[in-house]
Amino acid sequence: MLTFVIRRTVSTIGVLFGISVMVFLIFFATPGVDPARQLAGRNPSPSSIALIRHQFGLDRPLPVRYAIMMQKLFITRDLVSYSNQGQKVVPEIVAAVPTTLSLVFGAAVIWVVLAVVMGVLAAVLKGTVFDPLLMILALIGISMPVFWLGEVANLITQARFHGSFLFSWVPALGYISLTGDPFGWFKSLLIPWLTLSVLYIGFYARVLRANLLEVENEDYVRTARAKGLSERRVLLRHTLRTSMITFVSLFGLDFGALVGGGALLTEVVFGLHGVGYLTYVSLQNLDLPTIMATVVYGAVFIVLANALVDIAYAWLDPRVRPT
Amino acid sequence: MIDVALDQPGVEASSEVAGRSPWALALRRLRRNRISLAAFVLFIAIVVISFSAPYYARSVAHVDPFVNNVNGTTIVNGKRVPLFQQGGGILHLGETPIGPTLDLHHYFLGADNQGRDVAARVLYGGRSSLEIGVGSAVICCLIATLLALVAGFYGGVVDGLVSRAMDVVWAFPVLLFAISVSTVLLTAPNGLEVGPVHIVASSLWLPTLIIAAIYVPYVYRPIRGHVLSVREKEFVQAAIAQGASNMRLAFSEVLPNVTHVVVVLLPLMIATTILTESALSFLSVGVQAPAASWGTIIDDGQGLLYTRPWVAIAPGIMIVLTVLSLNVLGDGIRDALDPRAKLRVDG
Amino acid sequence: MRHLSWKATALVVAVALSAGCGSSGSSSPTTSTSSGTASHRGGTLTVLSNASFGTADPAQNYTLGEWQLLIMTHDGLVGFKRVGGAGGNALVPDLATTVPVPTNGGKTYTFTLQPGIKYSDGTPLKASDFLTVVKRQFTVPGPTTFYNQIVGAAACAAKPKSCDLSKGVVTDDTAGTVTFNLTSPDPEFLDQLALPFMLAVPGTTPLTNQGNNVPPGTGPYMWKSYDPNKAAVLVRNPYFKQWSVDAQPLGNPDSIVEKFGLSLEAEVTEIENGQADVMFDQDLIPADRLSDVSTKYASQVHVQLLTADYYFALNTRVPPFNNLQARQAVNYAADRGAMIKEFGGPSLAAPTCQILPPNFPGYKPYCPYTAGTDTTKWTAPDLTKARQLVAQSGTKGAKVTIVGTTDELGKALALQLVSDMNKIGYNATAHLLAGGPQYPFIQNSSNKIQVGYSQWFQDYPAASDFLNVLTGCGNFHPNSDASPNIAEFCNKGIQAKMTQASTLAATNPTGANDIWAQVDHQVTDQAPWVDMFNPKQIDFEAKRVQGYQWSPQWYTLLDQLWVK
Repeated sequence: MLTFVIRRTVSTIGVLFGISVMVFLIFFATPGVDPARQLAGRNPSPSSIALIRHQFGLDRPLPVRYAIMMQKLFITRDLVSYSNQGQKVVPEIVAAVPTTLSLVFGAAVIWVVLAVVMGVLAAVLKGTVFDPLLMILALIGISMPVFWLGEVANLITQARFHGSFLFSWVPALGYISLTGDPFGWFKSLLIPWLTLSVLYIGFYARVLRANLLEVENEDYVRTARAKGLSERRVLLRHTLRTSMITFVSLFGLDFGALVGGGALLTEVVFGLHGVGYLTYVSLQNLDLPTIMATVVYGAVFIVLANALVDIAYAWLDPRVRPT
Repeated sequence: MIDVALDQPGVEASSEVAGRSPWALALRRLRRNRISLAAFVLFIAIVVISFSAPYYARSVAHVDPFVNNVNGTTIVNGKRVPLFQQGGGILHLGETPIGPTLDLHHYFLGADNQGRDVAARVLYGGRSSLEIGVGSAVICCLIATLLALVAGFYGGVVDGLVSRAMDVVWAFPVLLFAISVSTVLLTAPNGLEVGPVHIVASSLWLPTLIIAAIYVPYVYRPIRGHVLSVREKEFVQAAIAQGASNMRLAFSEVLPNVTHVVVVLLPLMIATTILTESALSFLSVGVQAPAASWGTIIDDGQGLLYTRPWVAIAPGIMIVLTVLSLNVLGDGIRDALDPRAKLRVDG
Repeated sequence: MRHLSWKATALVVAVALSAGCGSSGSSSPTTSTSSGTASHRGGTLTVLSNASFGTADPAQNYTLGEWQLLIMTHDGLVGFKRVGGAGGNALVPDLATTVPVPTNGGKTYTFTLQPGIKYSDGTPLKASDFLTVVKRQFTVPGPTTFYNQIVGAAACAAKPKSCDLSKGVVTDDTAGTVTFNLTSPDPEFLDQLALPFMLAVPGTTPLTNQGNNVPPGTGPYMWKSYDPNKAAVLVRNPYFKQWSVDAQPLGNPDSIVEKFGLSLEAEVTEIENGQADVMFDQDLIPADRLSDVSTKYASQVHVQLLTADYYFALNTRVPPFNNLQARQAVNYAADRGAMIKEFGGPSLAAPTCQILPPNFPGYKPYCPYTAGTDTTKWTAPDLTKARQLVAQSGTKGAKVTIVGTTDELGKALALQLVSDMNKIGYNATAHLLAGGPQYPFIQNSSNKIQVGYSQWFQDYPAASDFLNVLTGCGNFHPNSDASPNIAEFCNKGIQAKMTQASTLAATNPTGANDIWAQVDHQVTDQAPWVDMFNPKQIDFEAKRVQGYQWSPQWYTLLDQLWVK
C-alpha cells in the first residue's frame, strides 16, 4: 500500500511538471505577443521595452526563463502579472478561490441530492413509464451547453421575469461574499448553482440507476432479500451503499475538475470572478504568468482528485492495486 | 469527460440466432429499439436541414447571411420595413434589429446586430458545428486507436512514453487546454504552420484539430485497456508464437476486436465535441467570423439577450436536440453491441 | 497617445441583464454649475468600472480610469482648468504660481512653486521632488516618449541606472524654482507637463515601479486603498487647503469609491436602481440597453461629442494598400452610416473622413470620400467611384485581411468593412483578436497586416497629438510592438509641413493651426486610414447625482459631483 502511495505521488509530481512545461511552451514558443511590450504599458518607446525585457529576464534562454518563473511561482511567490505590474499572481488566485469553491460546493450539494433521488426513483420505478421519462430528462440535462443554459437563466431571472414576484429577489450578477452577507451570498449563487448542477444531476442519476440495477442481481442482495428484509431496507442498506462506491469516486474526479477551473463557462456567464474567470481574462490578454499559475492550480486539483480516488480504490479493493 | 467500461463482446449468454456475426446481431437489436431509431431520425433530419442552408438562404429567404446588412429592409405583413429601429425618447440612442417575423421568406427569426438573417445563420451554423463535431470525433478516435494499438501492443518503453504523455494531457483541465491552444494559434500571425501544412485562422480545420487533440486521452485509455486484454487472448498469443510480425498482428487480429469500442464511443464523442465546439465559439476562440457555428451565434445573441433573445435561444435549442439525439443513439448502440457495458459522457 | 482602455474592450463578455422595470421620476436635467457649495459637501460617491486600470504607479499608468482619480489626489506644475465645457482645454498654473513663457528660444521653462503645500503624509512639497518625478519616467520606465527632449533624457532612456538629469531639470529648494532645459523647442511641452506622468510625488519615492501603491500627493483627496480586483478608495487629504479653484478645487463627496469588475449590464442596472452613482466614462452602455436608457432614464443621461476617432489603418507599405487609388477606393466604399448604426446609431456618433476630430485645434470639415459634391460632410458611399478606382489601381481581386477585435462592436465594424470591400471587388476576410493582444499586434510591421482596426482618444488638445503621432514618419518604428503609426504612413512633403507647423506653434499658434488644417486635409487625401466616425460620450448617472461637469480632457469631473 505504501509503495503504491509513493508511486502515485511521484507520478503526480511528474504530471504537474509536464503540464507546467507544456503551458510554458504553448505560450512562449509561439510568436505573437511580446511580454515586454505588455509590461511596458500603452505606448512605450522601444528603449523602454528593451529595458523591461532585460529587467524581467525575458532576454535569457527559455529554460532559464522557465526556471525563473517556477521559482517566482512556488518559492518566492511574487510572480507578477504581465498586464499589471502591480498585481501579484498568487494572492490574486487566493482571492478568487472562495468564489469558485462557493460555486462548486453549492452545486455539488444540489447535484448529489437530486441525482440520488432521481436515480433511486428510476431504479425503483423500473418497468413503469416513469423510469424512461426520468432517464430522458437526465439525458436532456446532459445535452445542454452550460453557458447557454446560464444565459437562458439570466434571460428569465434578470430580464423577462425579474419584475415578477418569482424572481425579483435575484440580485445583479456577481459574487457576494459569504462572510459579508450570508443571505446575499446564497441569493447570488442559487441560479448559478442550479445551472451548473443540471448536467451532473443527469449524469449521476444515470450512473446510479445503472449501478443499482446491476447490484440488484448480486448474490448478497438476493440473500438479504431471502432473509426477509423489507425492500426499503434492502435498498437503503445494501444496494444503495454498494452503488455509492462508483458514485463517490466519480464525484471526487468531477469536483476536482470543477474546482480546478472546469466551472469557467458558468463563472463567465454569471460574472463570478473565480479561478475560471481569472484564467479566461488572462487568456484574453495573453497574460502568461496568470495563465501559468491558474492552469497549474487547476491541474493540482485534477491530479490530486485522481490520485485520491485511485488510492481510495486501492484501499477499498486490493485487486486493482497495481504490482 | 468520457469514461468507458466495456466488457468483452460476446460474453453475453446470447439467445440470439447462432451463426450470425455479432455486428448483424447488434444491428438487429438496434432496429428494435424505437427510442434509438427516433433519435437517429432526428439526427439525420438536423443534418439534412443544416446542409440545406445554402438552398434556404438563396432560394427561400433570399439573403446572404455572411454580409452585414444594417441598412437593409424586409417585408412584414406586406409592408416594407427597415431592419433596424432607432431608439426612442428624446435622445434616440441605440438601434434595435428586427425580431422574429415567423415568415420563412423574410427574416423568420429576425436579424442580428449586423442585420443578418438569424434563421439562415442557424442553418449554416449547424453545418459548421456538425462538420467540426463529426470531423474532430473521427480524427480523435483514429489517433487514439492508433496510439493505443502501438502502446498496448509494443508495451514497455513505448507504452510508458505514450501513456505518460496522455496522463499530462488528461490532467490539463480540458476546456482550458482547448482555449489556450486556440488563443495562441489565433494570435500567431499565420495561424498553424507545421511543415508544408498551413492552416489559417479562419479555417474550420483549426478548431477541428484542436478539439480532436484534447480528447485523445479520453478515447485512448479505454481502447488501450482492450488492446491489452485482447493481446493476452489465446489466438493472439498463438499467432505471436508462430512468429507473426507485430504490425500485422496489431492490425489484423487486435484491431477488429477493439473496433466495437470505437463504434460505441463515436456518437458520444460527437456529442461531446459538438458541445466543446460551441463553448469555444461562444468564447470567440472557435469558428471565426463571419462564418457561423451555433456557438458563435449564441455569442452574437448575448449582446441582444435583452431585446432579441431568440438570437441566442434558437441555436441553443439546436445544440440540445443534436446532442440529445446523439446521446440516445449512443446508448442504443451500446446496448445493442453489449447490453452490460457502462459508459459515461459529460461535457 | 491614448488608446481606448484595452481591458474595457477585452472584458465585454460577461452577460447580465437587469431589472427591466422602474422608470425615471421627474428629476430635472442636471445643469453645469460651478463647484458645489458647502451645503453639498459629504457622502460617498460610488463609481462603477468594468475593469481596473492596471498598475497604479503614476509614472507607469496611462489610462483615463486612473487619471480621473490621480488629478484629484495629485498636482502637477500646471494643469488643465477643472471646469466643464471647452474651458477645460485651458492650461492654468497648479503647483506653479504662473504658466511660464519659455525663454532661450523656446528651450527653457522656469516655474516657481506655490509656498506652504504639503503632501498627504505631512511632508512639505520641495522643488527637487520634480527631479525624482522626471527620473522615474526613465527608471520605472514610463510608457511614453513625451519627455525624451529634456536635456540628458536620451541617455537616461538608454541607461536608466546612470541617469543624470542635472542639466535638464534644475531645481532650487530654497527659492522653490524648477527649470526645465530642452534639447529643442517643443510647443506641446506644457501640455505634456500637465499629464499625470508629471504629477508631484515626494522626492523620497523609490525610482522603481511602485506597483499598486500610489505615492502621497497634494490634492484634496488621498488614496486609502487600491485593489484591482475590488475597488479604489479615495478619502479627504487632511493637509489640503484650496489654493486655486481653477486648478485644484475642493471636492464635494467625503470619499470616492470606484468599484471594479461588474459587467456592463450589471452597471447599468445598478445605476438605474440607484445602488451606485456613476458609470465610468469609458464603459459603454451595451447596445441592447441603450433604447431602454434612452426612453426611461433620459434625464440621467448626458451626451458629449468626443475628440476621438474610430478608424481602420490601411498599411501603406503592404499590397494592395501601398497603392493610393486602392486606399481611396476603400474610403469611397466604406459605409460610414452602417458603421454608425452598429455603434448605436446617429445619436451616438458622427461620420468623418479626416484625421482631426471636430472642435479640435486645426479642424476644418473635409470629406472627399462621399457621394455628392459637398466635400464638407459625409452623406453616403460612392460605389461607382470606388469601383473605378479599384479598376485603375489594378488591385481588383486582391486578398485582404482585416485585423479586428473580438468584442461585439469590433466584430461588427470589421465585418462591415469586409462587406464593403467585397462589394468593390476585393476578396476580404476578417481576423479577430482579443483587444489586449490586438493593439500591439497591428502596430508591429513584421506582422505585415493589411488593415487594422483601432481608436484614438486625445491626450491633450493639440493637432499633432493626432496627426504627428498617428501619421508622422517618426512614429513608425519597424518591427516594434510600439509603433502608433499603424498605417506605416510617411510622406516627405507632409512631414515637412508638420515640422513647420510645430516650429510656428511656439510663436504663432493660430498660424500653426492653419498649417495643421492643411496637413489634415493632405493626409486625408493620401488615405492612410478609413476614418469611420467621431464617437459621442454617453454619461449615465444615478438620480441623486447632481453637479455634472464634463471636461474634454478628464471627462466627468468626479469630485465636482454631489450626492447630498
